[in-house]
Amino acid sequence: MKKKVLSVLLSATMAFSLAACGGASNGGSTTADKTETKTEESGETAESSESDAATETAPASDIDTSEHVVINYMTTGDRPDGKAAERLDEMLTELNKILTEKVNAELEIYYIEWTDYLANYNLTLAQMDGSVDLVGTASDWLDAWPNTKNGAFLPLSEEMLQTYAPQTWASVPADHWEMCKYDGDIYLMPEDNYAQWTNHGFIYRLDWAKDAGLADGVHSWEDLTTYFAFVKENHPELKAVWDSDGTQYAQMANGWISSHTNFVAIDGLATGALWGGTKDDLYTVVTPVMTETDSLVEYAKMMKEWDEIGVWPTDVLNNTSSQNRDEYRVGQVAAEQHHTQTWTDLCSANEANTIYADDPNAESGFFYFGEETDNVVALSITHGAMAVSAASQNPERALMVYDLIRNDPDCYKLFNYGIEGVSYAINDEGLRTTPDGFDSSTDNINGMTNYWWGRNDDLEIRDATRNWDKIDELYAKYDKVKIDYPYGQFVPDVDAIQAKIDNCNEVYTNYMKQISFGKYTGTAEEIVAEMQASLEQAGIADVAAALQSQMDALYK
Amino acid sequence: MGNTNSKTVVKPKKRGFFENIIRYRTLILMCIPAIVFFFMFSYMPLPGIWVAFVKYNYGKGLFGSKFIGLANFEFLTSSGKLFALTKNTILYNLAFIVLGNFLAIVMAILLNEMQAKLFKKVAQTMMFLPYFISQVLVGVLVFNLLNYDTGFVNGILGTLGFEKWQPYADPNVWPVLLVIIYLWQQTGYNSVVYFAAICGIDAEIIEASKVDGANAFQRIRYIILPSLKPTIIILLLFALGGIVKGNFGLFYNIVGTNSLLYDTTDIIETFVYRATMTDFNFSTASAVGLYQSIVGFVIVMVVNGVIKKIDPEYSLF
Repeated sequence: MKKKVLSVLLSATMAFSLAACGGASNGGSTTADKTETKTEESGETAESSESDAATETAPASDIDTSEHVVINYMTTGDRPDGKAAERLDEMLTELNKILTEKVNAELEIYYIEWTDYLANYNLTLAQMDGSVDLVGTASDWLDAWPNTKNGAFLPLSEEMLQTYAPQTWASVPADHWEMCKYDGDIYLMPEDNYAQWTNHGFIYRLDWAKDAGLADGVHSWEDLTTYFAFVKENHPELKAVWDSDGTQYAQMANGWISSHTNFVAIDGLATGALWGGTKDDLYTVVTPVMTETDSLVEYAKMMKEWDEIGVWPTDVLNNTSSQNRDEYRVGQVAAEQHHTQTWTDLCSANEANTIYADDPNAESGFFYFGEETDNVVALSITHGAMAVSAASQNPERALMVYDLIRNDPDCYKLFNYGIEGVSYAINDEGLRTTPDGFDSSTDNINGMTNYWWGRNDDLEIRDATRNWDKIDELYAKYDKVKIDYPYGQFVPDVDAIQAKIDNCNEVYTNYMKQISFGKYTGTAEEIVAEMQASLEQAGIADVAAALQSQMDALYK
Repeated sequence: MGNTNSKTVVKPKKRGFFENIIRYRTLILMCIPAIVFFFMFSYMPLPGIWVAFVKYNYGKGLFGSKFIGLANFEFLTSSGKLFALTKNTILYNLAFIVLGNFLAIVMAILLNEMQAKLFKKVAQTMMFLPYFISQVLVGVLVFNLLNYDTGFVNGILGTLGFEKWQPYADPNVWPVLLVIIYLWQQTGYNSVVYFAAICGIDAEIIEASKVDGANAFQRIRYIILPSLKPTIIILLLFALGGIVKGNFGLFYNIVGTNSLLYDTTDIIETFVYRATMTDFNFSTASAVGLYQSIVGFVIVMVVNGVIKKIDPEYSLF
């Protein structure tokens, strides 16, 4: 009998252990780290309140920086190698000289490679082993709020910011700090003084659009149909009209909604823009995917048409490694779906974009989603932000380093552009150019430090190769119609509805992929109805109701 | 023990724990690596199951996080897909186990019957090689064979004047394709175990059968297959324990995120991966793992019980 019981137990543990190993490896290490963080934190508060008592904003010299420390800055991006890595090291050596002199610290870069970046990003934060200090993050594309809720980031007290990052503290207005708070504490330092537009749209060949009879360029989805059909017909030399991969469905579907309604999505809930308000009534939650049936049917039909034209590769849904942007640069494709910031690069005749050298008539236009309805939402200031890891051994010094690379002109230029004369030069007009012998594949520091978490227009030097006339023209157009992102302070507590959000997102993704690439079977009406029924079952209305009640609590 | 006399029964009982350790020190010493391995990787992580019942917070740690009962499991049931997913997972695994073992046994017997030594070695190596190809590469290979625009198969079909085949838009072909790919990759490896078992059959029995005039088919039917029975049953039992655990690598790399094919190819693992990637929730993922382990545990217990009823010789315990 004993043997029997024992054997049952043994086999039970064997089976169970398989389930357990995933969670425990994280759990085990965190308990140890937790105490570490705690002592770190308590030591920290004591110190900061002390210095706070002395002076309101203590000058850096009053802070004890006797110990030389290494601050790890975590960013998404691929680690440079070979010659590029040497260039990066040269820059870091220069930068670290300044950092050592000013705050007795040096900076190292911790890369989260692009492959599966979100999973690796979150995993690295979950390790909590102190391997990173400064964390580049974003509320819309890098899970800033979920990680805040999970305890990955250190709450930054006002005293801490005033003491260790005084310039940043002073430069960010109070209402912006408000948008970086969760549960009353500041967690993020926002990139709020950098003009950029990340509203999506289609980048296309304006010269070809003119050939297609669109003298004024593409200004609607219908124009795009004309353009694509023309290009397919007249440019057989292309690899594809648009060498899309299967992930583009979300932006396309969101774009269609923006172009046909005045819907404003709440960022960061799910990949698809399922919940949000309307421009007229921002704080009433709506779900256009359920209500805009006619429009979605029209969308499904148009995408079927595009699929039949042959806009994308036939097996687009299994296409995961598209090089479409680089192919656009060299003239192998006729369109790229991305945001305005990308267009500012692609429309400029720089070294990488060989289409302009190959064809003097080449021009790149941008059709932005929402153009028809003037539905443009300015970027959330936490599209790029810096946080401090809760497991950081030296959070004070990390803040001091950040304050320098964000606000100190020398550090800023080094970190963003590299060493003058090697990685960049400044021309007579005060614009940034490339020096003689510049090799964009190895010398472009900007593409290695990936500092998208605190760029500063006060210190930016405009890139001479950019097509500023066209860019400024579009920016001016945006400025006339834009509204500010209205939900900056709305950090919904989704614990109770997370399962439903996940399920809705899953359903939406599955159907929207088929719809957005015209791959569905049956009629457009059927597939849209089927999707709506599944979303209904997955609880889209419950999520909307929960969000509404939280929104009422905040705004009403 | 019942029928030994009292003297021999009493004697070992008197020996203490430490005495036993000293007595069997060599055996115990040899067991230490295995004991350490299972202790470290199977027993020490056991408390981690707790993560399935909490709202995990990195800062607060495993046991500091808030207990939320079964809320993490709700995600599985509320999707309304639990049944379809479990069904897909189990059916695929059944196909893999049944066909995989059948083919492996056939291959092992064929290899055993082969006379030409060089051909035998070459054949075995060729069969074994696909096992070492990463699933990611298998996914790429399959895509390059089957895709519509530039695929190898469609290239041939096109030149021969046939209509092109579009498997990536047809969910019905994938159960067959996936099983074929699995068999291609795993049969060589699986057959090694059976091949070893055949090699372990007492040569005298085989010799005796030859003397008695048995032909190759009789030898296989009456000697080799019965001798393989215990191996088959043990491997089957082990495999059944994992029947609710899908082969994520295979499915994810080949089907990817092509939602057209999910009806017939979505298994628990791929669904959970997609659904939880958005919020990076350890707890839900662990809850799913626990669900799979419990079902697997129940299946092993039931099957073992059944086998024990039929023939106690072959049961695991």
